[in-house]
Amino acid sequence: MDRSRRNFCLGAGAATIGAATAAAVPAAAAPGAASLRRDGDPAHRWAMVVDMGKCVGCQACTVACIMENDVPENSFRTIVSTYEVTEQGKAGSYMLPRLCNHCEKPPCIPVCPTGATFQRRDGIVVVDNTVCVGCAYCVQACPYDARFINHETQTADKCTFCVHRVEAGLLPACVETCVGGARVFGDLNDPDSAVSTLVREGNPKVLKPEQGTQPRVFYLGLDPRFQGKVDGTQTLWRPSAQPHAQKEHA
Amino acid sequence: MMDNHIVEVINVTREVAWLPWAVQYFFLIGLSVGGLLLSLPGYAFAKEEWRKLGRTALLVALTCGLAAPVALLSDLHQPGRFWHFYVVLRPTSWMWWGSVFIPLYITGLLVYGWTCFREELQAHGRVDSRLAALYRLAALNGGRNDALIRAAGLFALAGALLVALYTGAEVAVVKARPLWHTPFLPVQFLMTALAGAAGLVLVLNRFAAGNDRAVEVRANRLLAGFLGGVMLVGALWLALGLFGLDTTHAEALGSVAGSEAWHVTAVWAVAATALPFGIAVAKPAGTGLLTGLIALHGAWMFRWTVFIGGQSVPKTGAGFYDYALPAGPEGLLGIVGTAGLWLFLLIALTAILPSPRRPAPGPARAPQTPAGTVAAAE
Repeated sequence: MDRSRRNFCLGAGAATIGAATAAAVPAAAAPGAASLRRDGDPAHRWAMVVDMGKCVGCQACTVACIMENDVPENSFRTIVSTYEVTEQGKAGSYMLPRLCNHCEKPPCIPVCPTGATFQRRDGIVVVDNTVCVGCAYCVQACPYDARFINHETQTADKCTFCVHRVEAGLLPACVETCVGGARVFGDLNDPDSAVSTLVREGNPKVLKPEQGTQPRVFYLGLDPRFQGKVDGTQTLWRPSAQPHAQKEHA
Repeated sequence: MMDNHIVEVINVTREVAWLPWAVQYFFLIGLSVGGLLLSLPGYAFAKEEWRKLGRTALLVALTCGLAAPVALLSDLHQPGRFWHFYVVLRPTSWMWWGSVFIPLYITGLLVYGWTCFREELQAHGRVDSRLAALYRLAALNGGRNDALIRAAGLFALAGALLVALYTGAEVAVVKARPLWHTPFLPVQFLMTALAGAAGLVLVLNRFAAGNDRAVEVRANRLLAGFLGGVMLVGALWLALGLFGLDTTHAEALGSVAGSEAWHVTAVWAVAATALPFGIAVAKPAGTGLLTGLIALHGAWMFRWTVFIGGQSVPKTGAGFYDYALPAGPEGLLGIVGTAGLWLFLLIALTAILPSPRRPAPGPARAPQTPAGTVAAAE
């Protein structure tokens, strides 16, 4: 049952189809409204603040996420995009941890034809992979390339803020393991939380604000050149260059 | 050397999630809708001079329309769960609406096709043959009924328009992909679908419908009109992007403007549209096979470029994702398999309803073509 950890929010298992039906019906009345949210505790609004000045690009978060969530080989729920930036002849590195932004207005949810992906009342966007048909419409709709098709489940997959850990009072694996303390996780509904303070006082930016998604992953000290699609020479290392069919677990 | 430069060292490469199956679906359903529209004057509006073209267009609509949903189902990574679409109401999702419109359209198409072919079924039922009883049964002891054909045709037309609407809107609403997020896309899908359908009418006319000269000339003229429309819409899209009149279009153009591969694609697209347009206008007789094949290929490549090309543009990363066509079901096999299914449907349909015989000599029916085989086997 280890695999079910990442879907623990599904709860009822076989009964989820019925639950999805019941939950999706109000969509006709108020599409995209917060009332569509289900599960989770509305007292919280989970969010993350990434301090760009503290990320050293060690990819410990990337590895921790894979181990915690049993992410298939060559797939990533989070990764630290790393860039070499040359300015006036001087070269330096730029690290940008990427993950699902658990947007306030997630464009991945209204497009879902089955209601498999939904937002919990604590803001976490999840996928019920017993309902998901793997149509990948949400993969297309996400402006952050945060979603992918998991070839072990053949359904949509993404970062869940380690919802199973959060429910147990733990931090997401990537936050727990972050060497430099660059990732800060907490409750926006709590004005005294670290994330609330940083969002209030740190003048954070979000990725692609023009998409109107209202991300709930914030970045401190984000260089505007990296806020959208990065204009540069493409990646030298291609983790997904091998077709998934050739992988040992496929 | 540039003073300021960014090199992406580590990032994730997202593979295409809408596979060549999706290209096949959008291609086939487009051809089906186009075929249906082209069949309406001859059948639903009973214009005799459109009847022969309409019959070939009906073959296009039926064969493509029946093959398309198979391709769509195969594009789901969990095809066995397709019924999940039908136990929820998800009006915010165009794909969900698609799951409502497709059965509506296909049902309408089949009923319309039956009303159109009923006259032929009745005629086959009169022939002294072991199958005559089956044909009579299929005709439900009736013949041509123009009122019924018109009613069914209008119902199928409504379904076709809904399919055209949803297939276009489904892709155009994806704001995350500037290349898709344009109100022009539904129009471009429809125009290229009409051009492709006229192209397939020309090809089938050559091989499966007696190589009728009048049909060829009419279809070539229609094709020229549709291709003119394709060029017009394409030019408008380009102008909005080039002159920065609209940010999304400028962004879309900007995302591919620096790519050699996309330059080649653009030149190819113009050539594949302008060339058959010129030929069809200058010499509508005797060129149908050529213009038809080019138009078909253009309609397919437009969808390939939109879906596979569109998904090769990273949303956050630099440059482009590589795409190599896999040989298996997620790639080449899907394309070939869908084409095979279509061919089977064409053979089956033309076997049940042989294309009108004409006293043309042998070469008109090329022996290596499936339809020719069917004709020879009769």
